[in-house]
Amino acid sequence: MAKTTQGKNGAGHQVAMVFDLNKCIGCQTCSVACKVLWTREEGADYQWWCTVNTQPGRGHPRDYEAMGGGYREGVSQPGRRPTREEWGGGWDFNYDEVLYGGKGQSVFLHPVGEEPKWGPNWDEDQGAGEYPNAYFFYMPRLCNHCTKPACLEACPRGAMYKREQDGIVLRDENRCRGYQFCLEACPYKKVYFNFVRQVSQQCIMCFPRVEQSVAPACVRQCPGRAVWFGTLDDESGPVAQLVRKWEVALPLHPEFGTEPNVFYIPPIGPARLNDDLSFDEDTPRIPDEYLEGLFGPRVKSAIQTIKTEMTKTREGGKSELMDTLIAYWWKDMFKPYDRDPAEIQWT
Amino acid sequence: MKAVKLQLATRTLLNPGAQQWAKVPAEEMSLGGTPLHRQPSKYVRAAWAGKPLGAVRFLKVQAAHNSKDIAFRLEWADPTENRDYGDGSVFPDAAGVLFPLNGDAPLESMGSADAPVNAWYWRASMADEDDAQNLIARGVGTAEQTAKSFSQARARWLDGRWEVVFSRPLQTDGEGVRLQPGKASKVAFAVWEGSSQERAGIKAFSKRWQELEIE
Repeated sequence: MAKTTQGKNGAGHQVAMVFDLNKCIGCQTCSVACKVLWTREEGADYQWWCTVNTQPGRGHPRDYEAMGGGYREGVSQPGRRPTREEWGGGWDFNYDEVLYGGKGQSVFLHPVGEEPKWGPNWDEDQGAGEYPNAYFFYMPRLCNHCTKPACLEACPRGAMYKREQDGIVLRDENRCRGYQFCLEACPYKKVYFNFVRQVSQQCIMCFPRVEQSVAPACVRQCPGRAVWFGTLDDESGPVAQLVRKWEVALPLHPEFGTEPNVFYIPPIGPARLNDDLSFDEDTPRIPDEYLEGLFGPRVKSAIQTIKTEMTKTREGGKSELMDTLIAYWWKDMFKPYDRDPAEIQWT
Repeated sequence: MKAVKLQLATRTLLNPGAQQWAKVPAEEMSLGGTPLHRQPSKYVRAAWAGKPLGAVRFLKVQAAHNSKDIAFRLEWADPTENRDYGDGSVFPDAAGVLFPLNGDAPLESMGSADAPVNAWYWRASMADEDDAQNLIARGVGTAEQTAKSFSQARARWLDGRWEVVFSRPLQTDGEGVRLQPGKASKVAFAVWEGSSQERAGIKAFSKRWQELEIE
């Protein structure tokens, strides 16, 4: 009886995103754009539907990759829900005291209440490795609006559904009774619980904007030209080109089995430095094994493809892939969702 | 089970600690866990495979009415008072009273398309002033809250035991089971133990309908 559109790819118009991890500077504009738009109310304030984490890192929620869920060879895997501490966030701060208390520099801004032990970007910029070969990169994460959403299947009430027209995965909050099996089943731990309203919530792919041909907030706000948005069936569009034609945009943790629709261009990073400070051009500073652990075995050929095309342009040649990745025209990154939200009378 | 007729204000009936309840005959029943194969999602079946379902094994029930409202007092042992979701790792305790909406209905499947069931549901995260929820179900996973609930619940947790009273007017024009003195009815009960991760179909319930006589 569960309403499931398992395996159905939104009648061919599945929306998808591609993040270029060579470009993301971890400015957090995307995560804040989403936060300001969707998760300000009490109960949602600790929810960060979009987060940007430093990799290597423990992510958000902390160590989410070890919390189970998803599928293994098509079989549902038990998972667990994160705890408030593992999410962190939603803190109250002593703004009144600092800004209006007349205490000058004797006080500073800090969370009030229980001491935080984790947050949406707690281990930012720590990374891994030893100087001069330390390495890290930034990786935005949000609900992947998977083709085989484990969250949707887990709900015994059929409260979740995947839209035919665009593949966006949503929850009917009137049917949700806060059982949180969806939190357990999502292997990416991108479902949150609203403790005040007692319903589960997650990124809605800004569907009210998408319906008006406006790109999601995280996409449109990105100042780094690091993210593309479009439908996978738009063969000439950059998303389909990067995912299907060039195969340089890869899903995160494909072994989770849910077929996510958010993809990543893997970071190439600099070459390792030898002891004499010469470059070891054959050894990347970001280890291949680490990237394989995130993106699977296809990551090596994706990086090779990019390097080959970069070499072409360095030698004065033309590369469609590099033209796409460089993103000369900002609005081409999310056509036809390039309508300006400011010109719409939102009710 | 008999709902005895008492000359008591509903406000008193709704007080689980009211000393008048001591004189009302009690039914002690065993509860069993819901069968795993009935859980409608593959995820739930996989996550709970091999785990015990239904932490609360015994329930004491008393029933009384004052011609206007009927009340059921439920009492069970629960060492942990779960009134909320804690740090996110537990659920609030809860309890429910179930009736066939129209005379009879399959119990284990939470009713069927042709034979719905009516539940009065209390969750420990509710404030006292909240009404208990009134739900209609036509099979596992289909329970819907009706727009208006006429049932109320008052609860207290004392020394490792929950005491919860549900009450509802005997006569209602809302969507709910018709109860009247002299007419036999069927009734069943369920209890969720929150620190054991119980919610949804993961619960303990009285495995069979009880015959209810309203004095």
